[in-house]
Amino acid sequence: MITIGDSLLYATLVLSVIALIGLLLKDKKNNENLNKLVTPAIILGAGLLASAYILLTYYFVTGNFAYDYVYQYSSRDLPLIYKISGTWAGQPGTYLLWVLVIYLSAAWLAWTTKHSTGLARKTQIITLLTGIYLIILTLIQTPFRLIIERPEVVDMIARGELTAGFVPADGNGLNALLVNFWMIVHPPLMFIGYATMTIPFAAAIVYLLTKEDGWEELGRQWARFTWLFLGMGIAVGGVWAYLVLGWGGFWAWDPVETASFIPWLTLTGFLHAAALHRKDKKTFSIAAPILAAVSFILVLYAAIVVRSGLFNSVHAFGDTSTGTLLIVSILITSIVSLVLGMRRYLEEPDKVEEDRGFWNKTNIFYVTMLLFVILAFISFWGITFPAFIQLTQGLKVGVASDTKNFFNIWSYPFTILLLLALGFCLNYNEKKKEEQKKTLFIIIGLTIITMLFRTGNFYVLDHSSPFWVREPPLYKLIGNISVVSLFPAMIYATWATIQRLLDYLRIKSLRPRIKGIGIAIVHFGVVFILLGTVISSNFTQSIDVGSIPLASKGEKVDIGNGYDIKIINFSTRSLAEAAPAPGIRISEIYKNPADYINNDVKVSGRIVDFVNVQTPPSNTTYMKIDDGTGNLWVATQAQEPLNVQNGLEITANGFMMSNFKSNSTGTTYDLIIFTTPDAITEAATSGNYNVQSVQLEVYKDNSMIGSGTAEYLDSKTGSGTFPLVDSSITGTDVYVIFQGLSGGSVPLTLKIIPGVNFAWFGIVLFAFGIILIMAVRSKS
Amino acid sequence: MKTKKMVSIIVLVLILAFAYFSYTTALSNFTLSDKTNSYLGGIKFHRAAAGLEEGFQIAQQENKPIMMYFWAIWCQYCAGFQTKTLGNPEVKNILENDYVLVAMDLDIDREVAQQYGVSYPPYLVFMDPKGNILERVPGAVEPGYLLPIVTQVREKVRGK
Repeated sequence: MITIGDSLLYATLVLSVIALIGLLLKDKKNNENLNKLVTPAIILGAGLLASAYILLTYYFVTGNFAYDYVYQYSSRDLPLIYKISGTWAGQPGTYLLWVLVIYLSAAWLAWTTKHSTGLARKTQIITLLTGIYLIILTLIQTPFRLIIERPEVVDMIARGELTAGFVPADGNGLNALLVNFWMIVHPPLMFIGYATMTIPFAAAIVYLLTKEDGWEELGRQWARFTWLFLGMGIAVGGVWAYLVLGWGGFWAWDPVETASFIPWLTLTGFLHAAALHRKDKKTFSIAAPILAAVSFILVLYAAIVVRSGLFNSVHAFGDTSTGTLLIVSILITSIVSLVLGMRRYLEEPDKVEEDRGFWNKTNIFYVTMLLFVILAFISFWGITFPAFIQLTQGLKVGVASDTKNFFNIWSYPFTILLLLALGFCLNYNEKKKEEQKKTLFIIIGLTIITMLFRTGNFYVLDHSSPFWVREPPLYKLIGNISVVSLFPAMIYATWATIQRLLDYLRIKSLRPRIKGIGIAIVHFGVVFILLGTVISSNFTQSIDVGSIPLASKGEKVDIGNGYDIKIINFSTRSLAEAAPAPGIRISEIYKNPADYINNDVKVSGRIVDFVNVQTPPSNTTYMKIDDGTGNLWVATQAQEPLNVQNGLEITANGFMMSNFKSNSTGTTYDLIIFTTPDAITEAATSGNYNVQSVQLEVYKDNSMIGSGTAEYLDSKTGSGTFPLVDSSITGTDVYVIFQGLSGGSVPLTLKIIPGVNFAWFGIVLFAFGIILIMAVRSKS
Repeated sequence: MKTKKMVSIIVLVLILAFAYFSYTTALSNFTLSDKTNSYLGGIKFHRAAAGLEEGFQIAQQENKPIMMYFWAIWCQYCAGFQTKTLGNPEVKNILENDYVLVAMDLDIDREVAQQYGVSYPPYLVFMDPKGNILERVPGAVEPGYLLPIVTQVREKVRGK
């Protein structure tokens, strides 16, 4: 059945084809009418896709579970914001988002250029082709599929177990890990980044095909935009891993996060290539467009990594059916780029230039680009070949004894080289070249010497890890390098950036000055991110607190190593609007006890007191529950003493008695409900998403170093930890993971993570710097 | 132009050498095999969904709790968790003697993972022989946290 949403997609498809034909026939006569249609068709297409997205959002907000996708990623009790973010929680929705952003870019291109230049027209053609391809993918894995079209539902309807108009009463709900602010923003950033990569790619292909002028300005501005969004998407993913997964780290070389990082690296390479290419068209005339194309191909690759079953990771939130089509698109774009690149290379006349030797700006820039490519390849290879081996030989292999070791050892030397190149290039001055070379050699010398330092456990690989001994000799050799060796290059790069910043500040005219400041800020960002990463990954201290009994609330508990933890408060809440608790208000019972005595009564409330007594042959548990209107005793017998604790919310259903005198406790209860363990349900008063929060203070040597709340979210779709993170000005985080209340005690893990905030600061610098650069439109 | 070409060729050769070297190193050193239990902290597990059924049978016969361990090859925290936490002598002793252990590869046993609401590794699910979930432990917890849980779950099942 074609739904409204799908028909919007089909309509966009038709419009795109019309626009495409119009663009292709532009040079022919007699089709002025068709030409006039092109721009409106594209803008209308973007509008239709936007309506499709709004429609999907509407289905989510209103809880239209007739749609399979809504059913899978939403439920009634979710707060509004998570109903909205549910639209991009799964693959079908992200395809729609992706294609929408491509069309918005295409519409912008159409609106600003009216396809008046050959470049704009041809770029639009390639953008539209990409868009059409992705619309087809979206239609295959459409978010507008009805639940009655699911194979198993079709079977059930055929067997008469369900009616043909079946609509589930409630959705499956959003994965607990996604119920979080960072997960609201992470996917849109990512997919805006993915989608906006289309235009630099299209412009580059046009350039390779026709040598059309002006592609680098168009491509560069969009590439910066992509760089910002993709970069921030990756960073926010890191923040999420840090704040939600409770892994205590922000980067785990997870295949999917790595896959998104690879195009970002090549894109960074492209931006460097384009900087020189813009000034001299002959420089990097092949490298620059090829890097843009490769970045786009790698975006497609990242999409495959997320969607195929081959590379599983924390991102495996859904199944896939479009992986093959993505592989086909990669093959096509790769072959096209390769063939065009080769053709341009062979066409290029051998330039007879004076040999300026190795040490000139172009060459060092070229080396810089190659370093980005090498880093990208290391990451690419590290996630790819294990999947390849599994696919071809059916063997599971690890890339190293410990996965992260592989990426760390291979990336480390090239990161140093990149810092050295940064230091040399950013401050490059033809006249002072000899002097600058000398400085560089000194720094290289220092780097080599510091590599040999024996520095406790400050090495590329952690020597205390049980995996260290199992690494092969070469990995051990690199792993033995002291991380101190990063510092000469880092200081050199910082110094060069400061020098350059001072130069930029002296520039009279405003625009180049702002742009220069932006460039300097981005490069400062590099230094901060590396500093934060190295320090936090090498010096994190982890203290296994074990379980602190809830009963010790308000007291400091010594957890060793000079640390104390104090539990201030413990509370539970439901994420959703509290549904009225089942049963009768206790105050109602006290108003007219006669109506309830000797009858079945259901009440809900929080346990405020309890007694376990032995009443051979079994045990009896008396629980005093409070629902806010009053309190009441509930008793139950069981083989084992019931495992309850104060604060637990329960619903109990049982027989009410009055003036019951208990022999075991010696108390007479005015009113009491007798029930069985089966008739007591835990926390039935709240919805699907229950949050346990524990408010804590952390002390070191009796002075408070951190405080805050650690939370644990439990739902039928899994659970998530939301650690306490208390940052200090020195860059150190106090980080406490709470794993959910267990048997009346609070299990905690304390981590002291130094330097991590430098990395966050570096990321902010990245964003700020690139925005400054983008804000200034430079004229070529 | 010449220098660039030369540098490119050198880099290409280096990249190929790196790719070949890491590929063969992984194949010869890091092939994970069932025989050595190299990827599950040296503890013997029943495997996959079939292993779970088998596990339930054994658990019912011997009245032992079941611990299901969800892991994945790419999960770097699992590696540390296996050696440090599961491999902790006290924890390991209890697990090997008093538990029926089942390992689920998140890449393969996706349905089981979905059924038990597990979305990321490492993740432990403790069950009684009937399959009632007694305890869930998400994430790479420390041995000090896991030890009381494995003890409590064992006592609970024994007491029944």
